[in-house]
Amino acid sequence: MDREIIIKNINSALADEFEKDPSTFSADGNLYDVLEIDSLDLVDVIVLIEKLFGIKTAKEDFASVKTFNDLYKFLEERINK
Amino acid sequence: MDIALITGGSRGIGRACAIKLAQMGYYIVINYRSNAAEAEATLEAVKEAGSDGELLPFDVANKESVETAISKWQEAHKGEYISVLVNNAGIRHDNMLMWMTDEEWSSVLDTTLYGFMYVTRALLKDMLIKKFGRIINMSSLSGLKGLPGQTNYSAAKSGLIGATKALAQEVARKNVTVNAICPGFIQTDMTKDLDEAELKKQIPANRFGTPEEVAAVVGFLASKEAAYVTGQAISVNGGLYT
Repeated sequence: MDREIIIKNINSALADEFEKDPSTFSADGNLYDVLEIDSLDLVDVIVLIEKLFGIKTAKEDFASVKTFNDLYKFLEERINK
Repeated sequence: MDIALITGGSRGIGRACAIKLAQMGYYIVINYRSNAAEAEATLEAVKEAGSDGELLPFDVANKESVETAISKWQEAHKGEYISVLVNNAGIRHDNMLMWMTDEEWSSVLDTTLYGFMYVTRALLKDMLIKKFGRIINMSSLSGLKGLPGQTNYSAAKSGLIGATKALAQEVARKNVTVNAICPGFIQTDMTKDLDEAELKKQIPANRFGTPEEVAAVVGFLASKEAAYVTGQAISVNGGLYT
């Protein structure tokens, strides 16, 4: 799947789930700060990714995901594996 | 379908909770460890109350037993989730601390505290995803005031209250409530060896309580009307300890 499509889809879904304006999302932005989420909300992110892309992830997968760019890179690798 | 799991649901307070939640329309998953005949009797009572249910045997204190049973249940019920959990399983091994064995100490704490942790952890994810859940932990008067001869049981039930308060704050914003109930002397198999005539003199209500009186509070805490009640330890004790 093309990186741009992944970014568009995940941004749209995150904006809906956490009621945020996607225009505030930037590649270098801290995912947790921008979305105002904590580790408990990862449950929602995991479910959202599974619904969107059909891939199963776990909390441990997000250990090195800090920014939106980290998330895009992680998704790109997992989806196109 | 609204589904409730009651650990230690084969007898006493657990059975009364099963019947109460069945009357409220819940499908009841009845956990028990060893007493299949009594668990079957609870299931019959659930059906007589106008609902349905099933038995789910496992040892709450055994991590593998809990995770295997619950994951199999979840596999068999895709699209469904358990929205109400009553952590009721508990055991007593009373002894003065001076004479208490390691086994008497650890078995009581393991059943109450590991039991709470293993079962709740296995079900919590679905509650968070669905943004609705009710977790009701059966503590005890013993966990509030401490009772001599029950340092193990008091420690376990007091620990359960602490866990209740902590978890309640973790998950409140996901519309999952966590509360504890602290029954006093209730007429069950666990209290049948006690001297009721003597003990009731200490109780302002002048009697032991019934399992149904505890179950009524469970029913309220499980209801949607109890959405703003969380992190509480609610006594059902006839005024014995206030």
